[in-house]
Amino acid sequence: MTFTLIFENKKEDKELIKDVTTIQDILEGLCLSSETIIAKKNGEIVIEDEIIENGDEIQLIQILYGG
Amino acid sequence: MENCTKCGNPKVIIKRKQSGQSLCKECFIENIQKKTIKTIKKENLIEKGDKVMVALSGGKDSVAVLDILHTLYERRIIDLCAVTIDEGIANYREEGVEIAKNHAKRLGIEHKVVSFQDSFGITLDEIMKNPNHRGSCTYCGVFRRWIINRAARDFGASKIATGHNLDDETQAILMNYLEGNIDNLTKIGAKTESKSKLFTPKIKPLREIPEKEVGLYSLVRDLEIHFAGCPYSQTSFRGEISEIIKNLSKDHPTIMYSTLRGFDKIKSAIKNQHSNEFEFDRCQKCGEPSSNELCRACTFLEELG
Repeated sequence: MTFTLIFENKKEDKELIKDVTTIQDILEGLCLSSETIIAKKNGEIVIEDEIIENGDEIQLIQILYGG
Repeated sequence: MENCTKCGNPKVIIKRKQSGQSLCKECFIENIQKKTIKTIKKENLIEKGDKVMVALSGGKDSVAVLDILHTLYERRIIDLCAVTIDEGIANYREEGVEIAKNHAKRLGIEHKVVSFQDSFGITLDEIMKNPNHRGSCTYCGVFRRWIINRAARDFGASKIATGHNLDDETQAILMNYLEGNIDNLTKIGAKTESKSKLFTPKIKPLREIPEKEVGLYSLVRDLEIHFAGCPYSQTSFRGEISEIIKNLSKDHPTIMYSTLRGFDKIKSAIKNQHSNEFEFDRCQKCGEPSSNELCRACTFLEELG
């Protein structure tokens, strides 16, 4: 059971360790605040409660200060 | 999974911890636009016939404010123009400038790019090579304000709109309070005006929208955005305050709203007691308004040699 994580111009395959893994779990694992990140699952914006399934592509977009 | 609180659409893009509301893309866009217009009306930021100049960097905040103000431009309520400042930061600013140009062209509004090089004969990169520099943000803030103010007069603009969001406002309130900088505290607000006619009033239509929601709005509206951090941004006091507020918001999701509301309630009392409106004359060198012989921009330029 794997998913693809796209973050900071890097794309890598990751193992789904828990039975139910959410976007929030991924953010906590990377020590990222949900206040600064917008997540996309298979190209569509999703909320932190969204469950990740085998083969999903998860993109994390950092919302930076400025402008 | 939850459905959109407003229309029942199962494709929810945001769940607001502060209100428990879940929204789909369409309802979220409508909600942000309505909230911004509500702030504009409540704070009397814009009047019919105003010419609003957006300080457009190409980042998410200024692009979002331009997008929302453009709805008023389309309805012929206001005239709209934009200025973009090129500070002269290699491998950083170029992309933002191009994005800003694209937006202005797409929307068919007047736009100009003004550089530090053209205005002051020096780039921020060159300033930072000076061993006695005061720190990048100090020059950037002063020089940008100088350019924005002059550009507004050149355009004949009656308002300057910036992309300041709820996070920016809350950080400014806390920073200035904790530093005991009450004079600066009196200047925070939805609208900044001066007695001097040489200064164009500044407005912040997004001040009640959290930074994350401004970013989300720009993304779901498919707006082209410059998503990069300034290479000179360093560990600053603002950064520390931002971290504290973000951590507090996890368990207290209304904390930024209550900070802003509380401040807005006491602001007039602080202003009455601590108002320190300088008498403005013109800078003897550049002619811009200044409370001293030389304005801060010209003082810095003399220091830099």
